[in-house]
Amino acid sequence: MPHPILNVEDVSKTYDGFKAISKLNFYLFEGELRTVIGPNGAGKSTFFDLISGRARPDTGTIVFGQDTDLTALNEYEINRLGIGRKFQTPSVYAEHTVWDNLVLSLKGPRGVFASLFHRLSSTDRDRLDELLKLIRLSEKRSWKAGQLAHGEKQWLEIGMLLATEPRLLLVDEPAAGMTDEETHRTGELLLSLAGKHSLIVVEHDMTFVRQIARDGEVTVLHQGTVLCEGKFDDVQSNPKVREVYLGRGKHGTR
Amino acid sequence: MKFLLRLFCALACSLTLSHAFAAEDETPRQTLARAILAENAATKRTILGSLVGRADEEVGELLVAWRQDALFIYTTPDNTRIPVRLIGPADAAGTHAAVRVIDGEPLTDAAGAPLRLDKGDLESVDHNANLRRAMKAVLDLIDLGAALPAKRIQAIKTIGQSQDAEKLPAIQARLEIETDKNAIVALREARALIMLKSAKDEDRLEALRELKEVHTLSSTDFIKGALSDAQRRNHTQLTNAARAALNAVDLHRAKVDFFGTLFRSLSLGSILLIVALGLAITFGLMGVINMAHGEMIAIGAYTTYVVQNIFGSGLALSPFGISLSLPGINSSGWVYQSYFIVALPLSFLCAAFVGILLERSVIQFLYRRPLESLLATWGVSLILQQILRLTFGANNVQVSSPIYLSGNWTVNDILFGWNRVFVICFAGLIVFGVYLVLTRTSLGLLIRAVMQNRGMAACMGVRTTRVNMLTFGLGSGLAGLAGAFLSQIGNVGPSLGQSYIVDSFMVVVVGGVGNLVGTVISGLGIGSLDQFIQQYSPALASAFATVPFVGGFLQNLAQDSAVFGKILVLCGIILFLQWRPAGLFVTRTRSLD
Amino acid sequence: MNDSSSSSRARLEIIAIAVIATLLIVVIPVLNAQGVISNFHLNLWGKYLCYALLAISVDLLWGHTGLLSLGQALFFALGGYMHGMYLMRMIGDLGQHKQPIPDFLVFLGWTKLPAFWEPFDSFGFALAMVFVLPGIVALIFGFLAFRSRIKGVYFSILTQALTYAGALIFFRNNTLMGGNNGFTDFKFILGFDFRDPATPRWLFIATAVTLLLVFLGCRWLHTTKFGLVQRAVRDGENRVLFSGYASAHYKLFVFVLAAIIAAVGGALYVPQVGIINPSEMTPDKSLEAVVWVAVGGRATLIGPIIGAISVNALKSWATRAIPDLWLVLLGGLFILVVLFLPGGLVSLPKRLAPLWQKFRRPSAPAAESAGKAAKQ
Repeated sequence: MPHPILNVEDVSKTYDGFKAISKLNFYLFEGELRTVIGPNGAGKSTFFDLISGRARPDTGTIVFGQDTDLTALNEYEINRLGIGRKFQTPSVYAEHTVWDNLVLSLKGPRGVFASLFHRLSSTDRDRLDELLKLIRLSEKRSWKAGQLAHGEKQWLEIGMLLATEPRLLLVDEPAAGMTDEETHRTGELLLSLAGKHSLIVVEHDMTFVRQIARDGEVTVLHQGTVLCEGKFDDVQSNPKVREVYLGRGKHGTR
Repeated sequence: MKFLLRLFCALACSLTLSHAFAAEDETPRQTLARAILAENAATKRTILGSLVGRADEEVGELLVAWRQDALFIYTTPDNTRIPVRLIGPADAAGTHAAVRVIDGEPLTDAAGAPLRLDKGDLESVDHNANLRRAMKAVLDLIDLGAALPAKRIQAIKTIGQSQDAEKLPAIQARLEIETDKNAIVALREARALIMLKSAKDEDRLEALRELKEVHTLSSTDFIKGALSDAQRRNHTQLTNAARAALNAVDLHRAKVDFFGTLFRSLSLGSILLIVALGLAITFGLMGVINMAHGEMIAIGAYTTYVVQNIFGSGLALSPFGISLSLPGINSSGWVYQSYFIVALPLSFLCAAFVGILLERSVIQFLYRRPLESLLATWGVSLILQQILRLTFGANNVQVSSPIYLSGNWTVNDILFGWNRVFVICFAGLIVFGVYLVLTRTSLGLLIRAVMQNRGMAACMGVRTTRVNMLTFGLGSGLAGLAGAFLSQIGNVGPSLGQSYIVDSFMVVVVGGVGNLVGTVISGLGIGSLDQFIQQYSPALASAFATVPFVGGFLQNLAQDSAVFGKILVLCGIILFLQWRPAGLFVTRTRSLD
Repeated sequence: MNDSSSSSRARLEIIAIAVIATLLIVVIPVLNAQGVISNFHLNLWGKYLCYALLAISVDLLWGHTGLLSLGQALFFALGGYMHGMYLMRMIGDLGQHKQPIPDFLVFLGWTKLPAFWEPFDSFGFALAMVFVLPGIVALIFGFLAFRSRIKGVYFSILTQALTYAGALIFFRNNTLMGGNNGFTDFKFILGFDFRDPATPRWLFIATAVTLLLVFLGCRWLHTTKFGLVQRAVRDGENRVLFSGYASAHYKLFVFVLAAIIAAVGGALYVPQVGIINPSEMTPDKSLEAVVWVAVGGRATLIGPIIGAISVNALKSWATRAIPDLWLVLLGGLFILVVLFLPGGLVSLPKRLAPLWQKFRRPSAPAAESAGKAAKQ
C-alpha cells in the first residue's frame, strides 16, 4: 500500500452560518487519480479552497506528505510545496503572452531577487516548447492569453499547472467549454499524469468522469461530507447517490 | 491682621442686626415699603441693609426711583400711608398713574377704580447721604437677586472670585432664600472662598471642607493657593483639608472632561457618519470612492449660506465676472430664524442634483474601471472647488446660527452646545431614514440588488442606469445635508469638504463596503478615538518618550493634540486592517478576484 | 509581429533614447552656457525633469503593478526635505538672523542646533537619508498594507491618508522642519554658489542623467521575470499567489523602489526650485502626478515622462495666462483623458493612424490593415 499524500481529517468550514464542509474525511494516495463528483453546493470548490490555502478550515487537519500541516500555510507556500490548482473558470494572465504565462509558472525559485536576475536556460526553453506542443499552442505562443478561445485557455491553464511540476494537482472542471474531442484528449492527458503525480479532479460531465475514473476511485460529496466512495460503476448504482442526483426521496437521504 | 479681625466682628454684628430686622416671609418689595415707612433714618438704613442680596431688579428700579425722588407716600382718606411710584406721562390735570411699592399693583380707591395723583399732593420720600449709601450697597449686589438664575450665578461667582469679606453677609442672606440648585452651589462656593481668606484657621478648614463638598472647577486656583500656603506654614490639618478639596475638584474635572469628550466624540462621529453614509452608499454601489464627495458637502453648506442671505438682505455674487444679485426678502424674527429649516431640504436637493449630473456626465462611463473613476471624480472635485471659489470668493463666509441652535446647556459643568446636540439627533434620524429607504422601499431593494450583482440585476430587468442615478443622487444629497450641519459648526469655505473627506474615507474603509451598521460603528468609533486622543494625548506625551529611537519625536508630536489625534487614528486604522482587512463587515464572494 | 520587426523597433527605440539623452545632457546645457537658452527656461526644464521622476514612480506602481498610490508626493517631499536640511546647513550664518543655525529655529527661540539636525552638515549623510527615510517609511507602511492584502481603492485611500498625516506633521512648527514656510533661501551646494549660473546648469545635468538612469533601470526591470510577475500582480493578483509567488513581497519591493525614485526626484527638485514646504506633500500633489501619468500614457515607460513635461508646461503657461481657470483646466483635462483617451498621449499616434491613412491614401485595404494594427 502506497503512503497517503493527503490526509484530510474531520474538517469543517462554515460561511455565514452555512455549513459548506462538515466533518469531512478524505485520503489520497501517492500517484492516485481521484475523481470527485457531487451536486451543486456539495462543497467541491470549498474543498479545493481549503487544500490550496484560499480558505482556512474552522476545525480539523489537512496534512500533506509526511507531516506538513496545510492549515497553517497560505496560498503561495502551499503552491511551493508542490500543490497546483486549476480553477473552475480559466484564470490565465490575459495581458501576458502564452509564452510568458508558462514562464511565470515554470518550476523554479519564486523570490523577488531571484526573479530580478532570472534567465531562462536552454533546458527551460526546451521544456516550455515541449509543453506548448502538448497543449497545442506552439503556433500561438506570442498571442496574448486573453485572445485565446475558452477551450484554449483551459489548455493553457493545464499547461501552466504542468510547468510547475506539482506533486499534487487539484483540477476543477477541466472539460468545461471544450469540444468532445478536446475533452477526450484532456482525459487522456490526466490519466497519463497519474502515477507520476497525484490528482484530484472535480467534474460534472459523467462521460468524462467515466473516462478518467476507469482505474481509480470516485468520491461523491454531498452537503459538505463524503456520501460514498468506490469504483465508478459501484457509485453509479448506489441508491443513495441516485437519490441525491435525481432529487428523489429528498427527506430520506439522511 | 488686626484690621481683618475688626472687620469680622463688624460683619458678625451686622449679620445679627439684619436678621433681627428682616421678617422671614417678607417679599423684597414689602421690605422696601417697610423701609420707606420707617420712622427714622437709622431704622430705614437697617431695613435697607436687610435687602442686600435679596433685592431683585424691580426693587432695584424702585431704589433708583427713590434716589431720583420719584417715590411718594399717598395717604388714604382713612389715614393709611401707602408708598407709591408715579408712572407714565402727566395728563392735562398734571396727574400720573400710580403703582404701589408694596406689590407693584395700580393704586385704587375704595371702589377699585385706579387713582391718578398729582405730585404736589403727595408726601415725597426723602433720603440722605447715609440712606443713599445703604441703597448703593443694595444696588451693587442687585444681580444677586436677579430674576434669571444665570445672571445671579454670574454675580455670585464674581463676588466669590473677589473674596471680598464685606460681601459675605449678602451671600449668606441670599443662601437662605435661594432655591435654584446651581445658584446654591455657586453661593456655597463664594461663601467658602471668602472664608478661605479669613485669618482664622477654623474658618479656613470649614471653607476647605465646604469646597471639597461643592468641588467646583473655578475654585481650583484658590485651593491650590491655600494648599501652598498651608504647606509653607507646615499646618498638617489645613494641608490635608486642602489636598482633599483639590482631589475632589480634580476628580470632578476628570469626570467633566470625560463626559465632555464623550459628547464631542458623539458629535464629531455623527458628522463623520453623515458624510460617510453617502460615501458608503456610492462606494457600495460602484466600488469607487467619489473624490468629489467633499465638494458635495461644500455645495450643501453654500446652499445654506445662500438661503440665509435670501431670508436676509440678499446676496451679490460675481461668478466668472458675471454679476449676479439675489434679492433678499429682508425677513426678521422667527421668519428669519426658520431659514435653516428651509435650507436643510434645499441643500439635500442641490447636492443631489449636482451628484446626478456628475453621474450622468462622467461616472456612468466608468463603472468597470473603479480606479480611473476615482481619478475622474478628483478632476470633478477640482473643477467644483474652483467654481465655488470663483462664485463665493476664496475666503470663508459666515453662516450665523439660528437662535434655537446657538445656545448651550450646561449640566454639571459639562457644556452641551445646541448645534451639536442637534447634529447628533439628526444623524440618528438620517441613519434611520436611510435604513428605511434601503430596506422598505422598492428603490432600496433595487439598490441592494445592483450592489450585489450589477450584471445579474441588469439581466433581471432592473433599470440599472436609473438606480445608479438615484443612488448617486441619494449619496450626494446626504453629503449636502452634512454640509448644512457643518455650516452651523464652523466656517464655510470652498475647501470645506477637504477637511472631513479623508476621515470619511477612513470611516468607509473601516466600516466595510456598503454596510450601514459598519459605517455607523466605524463613524462613531473613529470620531471617539480622535476626540479622546485629542483630549488625553498631552497628558500621555511623557509616556511616549520611552519609545526607542522616535520617543523624543513622539513626545514632541503628542503635545499637538489635534495633529497627533489624526495620526494615531490613521495608525490605528492600519493596524485594525491587519486584523480585519476588508473592514468590519465583509460581503464574501466566491470568484477569484 | 515577427522577430525582425521587433528587433528593428528596439534598435529605433535605443537610437531615440540616445538622441534625447544627448539633447538633454549635453546640447541643452551647452546652449545655456552659450546664452541661447535662458537660465529661466533651463531651470523650468530642470523642474519638469524632476517631476518626470515623480511620474515614473507613480507609473511603476499604478501602471505596472496596479497600485494607485497617492503617497508619492509624500516621498517626493521627504526626499526634498532631507536634501533641504543639508542646504539649510550650508547657509551657515548668512541667514537674516546672522546666527549659525537656520532662521526659523532662531525664530522659535532655539540657540543651538537640535541633535537630529547635526549630521545633516554632511552631504553624504543627507544623500543617504534621501534614500533611507522614504525607503523606511515605505517599507513599514507597505509591509503592513500588503500583509493584510489591502488593494485597489482601499490602498489609494490609505496612502492618501498617509500623505495627509505627513503634511500635518510637517506643517507644525514644533517638528523643527520649518513649519508652514519650509526651507528656502539656499546659498550654497557642495561649495558652489547658487547665484553662479553654472550651478543650476550642473544641477540640470545631474537631473537629466538621473532621469536617464532611472528610465533605463525601469526599462530593464520591465524585461526581467520580475517585470512579468509585477504585471501579473496587476492583472490577477490572486492567480499569482496560486503560482507560488508571494505577491506581497513583490509589491513591497516595487513600493519601496518607487518611493526612493520619487525621493530622488524631490532631492533634485529642491535645489533647483529653491524651496520646499509641506504644500508639496498634500494628497492633491500625488493626484496631480497621477494626472501626468494618465495624460502621458499609463504602463508605458515613456508616457509618464511625456505627461509630466507636457502637463507642467501647460501649467506654467496657464497659471500665468488664465490663473483662475487653471484648476478647471486641469480637472477637465483629467476627466477627458480618463474618458476618451485611456492610453494617454502615447496612444495618440496609433489612434490617429487610421484617420491619417484614410486621409493620405483613401484606398480601402490600407485603411483596414492599419485599423487592425491599431486594435492590437
